[in-house]
Amino acid sequence: MFNKIISGGKLEKKVIENIKNHIKILCSAAECLKTAIESENLESTYCVEEFERDADSIRREIVSTIHEGAFLPFIRPNICRFIEMIDESIDMIEDVAFEFRYLNPEIYKLIAPECIRIAKINLNMCELLFLAFESLIGKDNLKEKNLAIRVYEKQVDDIKFDLIEKLRNNVEIKNFWDGKNVSNFVDYLTKVSDLIEDASDYLYIIEISLR
Amino acid sequence: MKTKIKEIMNTKLETISPDATVYDAIERLIDKRIRSLIVLPKDEKDVYGVITVRDVVFKVIVKNLDPHKIKVEEIASKPVISIDKETELEHLVKLMEKFNIARVFVHEGKEITGVVSLLDVMSASLIERARRS
Repeated sequence: MFNKIISGGKLEKKVIENIKNHIKILCSAAECLKTAIESENLESTYCVEEFERDADSIRREIVSTIHEGAFLPFIRPNICRFIEMIDESIDMIEDVAFEFRYLNPEIYKLIAPECIRIAKINLNMCELLFLAFESLIGKDNLKEKNLAIRVYEKQVDDIKFDLIEKLRNNVEIKNFWDGKNVSNFVDYLTKVSDLIEDASDYLYIIEISLR
Repeated sequence: MKTKIKEIMNTKLETISPDATVYDAIERLIDKRIRSLIVLPKDEKDVYGVITVRDVVFKVIVKNLDPHKIKVEEIASKPVISIDKETELEHLVKLMEKFNIARVFVHEGKEITGVVSLLDVMSASLIERARRS
């Protein structure tokens, strides 16, 4: 698929490798968050920030290489937008990690199983996004990966509604910051899957535009 | 299919007392938008049962019986077909095919802790296929 526009150029190959690294960083950040909320270890959430910094630097490199002349001009905005989506996902994971550090442990205890499940699904989605990108490059079946990502997103949505119901029925918020904190935490945690789904959809749109 | 049941099971279970009326069960099924309820054991010697939308329709509504006057235990199926959470998906599918059922409950010891439906199986196999290819 990409052969049409890559024409074997060095710059294009560099961009593709960097995009792969970018998605790998997304996977690492998702794994780091999953481990942190699973173990309830606040210290281990800081690795997400390190990954976010790495991802920022790779994003800048990718965009620079694209503007140096990688790929035909018509495809450049699409690739840049895809990169931005990955970046937004990593930023969102960073926001989850931040909120987690200030979360009231008593409240978290009540919602921990659902949150851990969502964090695991988020990680699975990141890994599938990597496979989806490889499918785009390798002319493999991208549609199957895209569908699987949508299935995962639906699962997160279902858990999200249960989670909100649980919070509404069982948690009495006595402090403004406790309420804002848990609300942000759940909101950001469940938004990660939305962003990954959007990125996957965008990948599919790129594929269609190249047909 | 190497996926294990615990990875895909739904732990959101709704239970109902065997003494409750079928009308109570209908209300619960509609409110929660689900298709089955676990019927709790009556005593220590009793086992879990299940009441489904199918039971309500075919055993009560179609027969023009009054759901207020019939107890859940009268139409519930017992015992429920359940499997261990460590079971592999392949075994679950065989079980569903053998008994022609759309959902199987998951047990941990004597407790029912989850349920897996055909839709969950379909989603799981789709994900597995996407990961493999």
